[in-house]
Amino acid sequence: MTAIEWQIVGFTVWVAALSTVIILPFGLALAWALARGNWPGKSLVETLVTLPLVMPPVAVGLILLQVFGRRGAVGGFLHDRLDLDIIFTWRAVLLALGVMSAPLLIRSARVAFEEVNPRLEQIARTLGAGGWRVFFTITVPLAARGIVGGMLLAFARALGEFGATIMVAGYMPGKTATLSLAIYENVQLGQDAHAFRLLGVSVVLAFAAVWCSGFFLRRKITKT
Amino acid sequence: MRLFFVIITAGACWLPLPSAYSVEITVFAAASLTDSLKPIAATYEKTSGDKIIFNFGASSTLARQIKAGAPADIFFSADEAQMDALANRDLIDPATRKDRLGNSLVVVVPNDSVLHIKSAGDLTRVDVKRIALADPQAVPAGVYARAWLEKLQLWPAIQPKVIPTENVRAALAAVASGNVDAGVVYKTDAAISKNVKIACEVPRTDGPDIRYPMALVKGAPQPEAAKKFLDFLASEEAGQVFARYGFLLRQ
Amino acid sequence: MSLLLKSISLPLANFTLEVDVEMRGRVTAVFGPSGAGKTSLLDLIAGLRAARSAFIQLDGTVLADTVKNFSTPTRRRGIGYVPQDLALFPHLSVRQNLLYGRNSQAAGPAFTFEHVTEVLEIQPLMARGVTELSGGEKQRVALARALLASPRLLLLDEPLASLDLALKEKIIPYLARVRDEFRIPMLCVTHDRFEALALADEMVVLVHGKVMQAGPVAEVFARPANAAVAKFVGVETLRPGRILSVNEGLATVNVNGVMLTALAPATASRDVLACIRGEDVVLQRDTAVSSVRNRLPARIISLRPEGALVRVELDAGFPLFALVTRPACAELEFHPGETITALIKTPAIHLVPR
Repeated sequence: MTAIEWQIVGFTVWVAALSTVIILPFGLALAWALARGNWPGKSLVETLVTLPLVMPPVAVGLILLQVFGRRGAVGGFLHDRLDLDIIFTWRAVLLALGVMSAPLLIRSARVAFEEVNPRLEQIARTLGAGGWRVFFTITVPLAARGIVGGMLLAFARALGEFGATIMVAGYMPGKTATLSLAIYENVQLGQDAHAFRLLGVSVVLAFAAVWCSGFFLRRKITKT
Repeated sequence: MRLFFVIITAGACWLPLPSAYSVEITVFAAASLTDSLKPIAATYEKTSGDKIIFNFGASSTLARQIKAGAPADIFFSADEAQMDALANRDLIDPATRKDRLGNSLVVVVPNDSVLHIKSAGDLTRVDVKRIALADPQAVPAGVYARAWLEKLQLWPAIQPKVIPTENVRAALAAVASGNVDAGVVYKTDAAISKNVKIACEVPRTDGPDIRYPMALVKGAPQPEAAKKFLDFLASEEAGQVFARYGFLLRQ
Repeated sequence: MSLLLKSISLPLANFTLEVDVEMRGRVTAVFGPSGAGKTSLLDLIAGLRAARSAFIQLDGTVLADTVKNFSTPTRRRGIGYVPQDLALFPHLSVRQNLLYGRNSQAAGPAFTFEHVTEVLEIQPLMARGVTELSGGEKQRVALARALLASPRLLLLDEPLASLDLALKEKIIPYLARVRDEFRIPMLCVTHDRFEALALADEMVVLVHGKVMQAGPVAEVFARPANAAVAKFVGVETLRPGRILSVNEGLATVNVNGVMLTALAPATASRDVLACIRGEDVVLQRDTAVSSVRNRLPARIISLRPEGALVRVELDAGFPLFALVTRPACAELEFHPGETITALIKTPAIHLVPR
């Protein structure tokens, strides 16, 4: 493995981890809102959240390109006002990874929240706890197993993300090249040895992430 | 349940079935030939009764696919290097190889760009932050662009700004979308898109020698029919269409 | 304390809960069959549910008023809640559970951690996980947790329902201690008449979401307002008494000067409530020899027909109610003012420790 290949691996792990951390607060908020209560537009949001899971990743990438490009609704604002580019930078990688992996986190977290007995939250309120306190001291700890499992699943997905990434980030080793992009590019260039080395690393990483995820989703966390 | 099977069967009837009557010729062609080859193929189909199936892409990608055994009848590359790579592996019929088209490079910018780029040197300016090129390591358009900039000894300054794309049309699309400041594409590509304008042309003397070789692929499924189409591609009639799209004719 | 529930209207699955009542007791039992809306009522008082219409006032403070679109959030109501499933936090230790409500700014009296854990005898359980506790231990921890949040009112949903008989008798004294030591008003939901009798001084009878009767416990049992209440209450005679002696499982109880023989209760408590169902009282004119230990001369006060039966009110040294058939009444020619003999079998006298 060459230095640049290790850099690509490091970058991939780093960006996947960062994207998982960033989607966590939004993901938990959405999962919570979907788990509790009925509100107008809930089915619409549910469907939108599931879309990146079933749509072709390149299609999602195309949507991101339109919205976050220099002429897009969000990208235009960022470029004109803040001189900030998303497309073709590492930020685009972060965006693509986040959008594609968030549904996995949201689904796992939602199930975990639904399994928390609402009675426990109600009693906590009678004991004087406000909404945030109930959420962080009762709901989240009891849902922790599912949340962590969901995060690891999202991380694993982010590690392997390709379709959306290639649409918005391009392949620039050192700047935006992720493991999956590098494998593709190396095969394109006929550099099979490189490609297979990267493939090996990719398999190891994915295996580790999914195995750990299963570990959390199998065991219960209770105080003994 | 029965309705389900009826629907499935009806759907299956729409699947393309091999035709007993006309022959299908598969052509792997460089992306930059997309718009010109379509009308040429349409004309040929009317007179010959054969059907032309295209696979457009970066010549490097197509060459790789042929190497892996893709069932192509004709390979129409954007540079000699990719054709030579196949020739070296004895994957094309050298007797059928023809070299008829040329092209020139241009620097394009988005339609609404306010950057004044008049020469290659301008590309090294600080306000030109991102330049799209078809992958300069493999795709002919990018390789040509790189050769040109290396000749001018500007490549080291420009390389950090390069956004490599899949093929030359992707580079064009990147410029058209406004997500990059400039791009280097074929003159024939610049003519296709309404969202870009040509900032400057690479003079034929400065630029690299761009050639578009075409040849019959060995082991082609339809060698006779393909040979006839290949001859048509090299004909006067086809040449006029190519010229209309901005290609240069050789010989 | 005074808990005022006015204009409560809460549509539920099969009926609408409609309540208009004021509760003043130290311990009030909300009594009724399962599905009468009792838990929903508690949820409403605690602020865990909203009603279509409600006015709730506790000791002068308005907690909810739908007319003014006002409702105090649960966390500020200062109302402790021990639900039927106890809802102990499984991811926290016993100590952490107990201390959860410690910082709440409730208006109720503050008790020290030591005091509460001592009274409920849960000190040895501190470091344990909640899942390791027995049923009775969980009950006491849940109670303590609610108390340590300084509530002004304590709501208990069927506190004894899931316990077996032995355990019930062990927990009742703890609840009595909570009532007596901490002096916090309690609202207990129950469908068990003996639970109500053991703890409450006031009672609200809730059937199909409507309040059938409200008042002192003895009053409701003695004079049920209607057939629905009577059917559910099912005990016609309730008298306080004192156990004088216990011999070989039989207790001699002094009820208003009259000595009765009953089965001795498990606890050592001396003060009891003697419960005698009207159906278990036999009326006789002559005094033949029988196995019945309790043979009381009694004067008939009144006769009230109730369907196929007649409700006979007697004075046997204390007010005693009997239910006999109409034909029997006619055959024995009962008239008010007459003296006859009332026979009560020993096992028919149910002693509820107070």
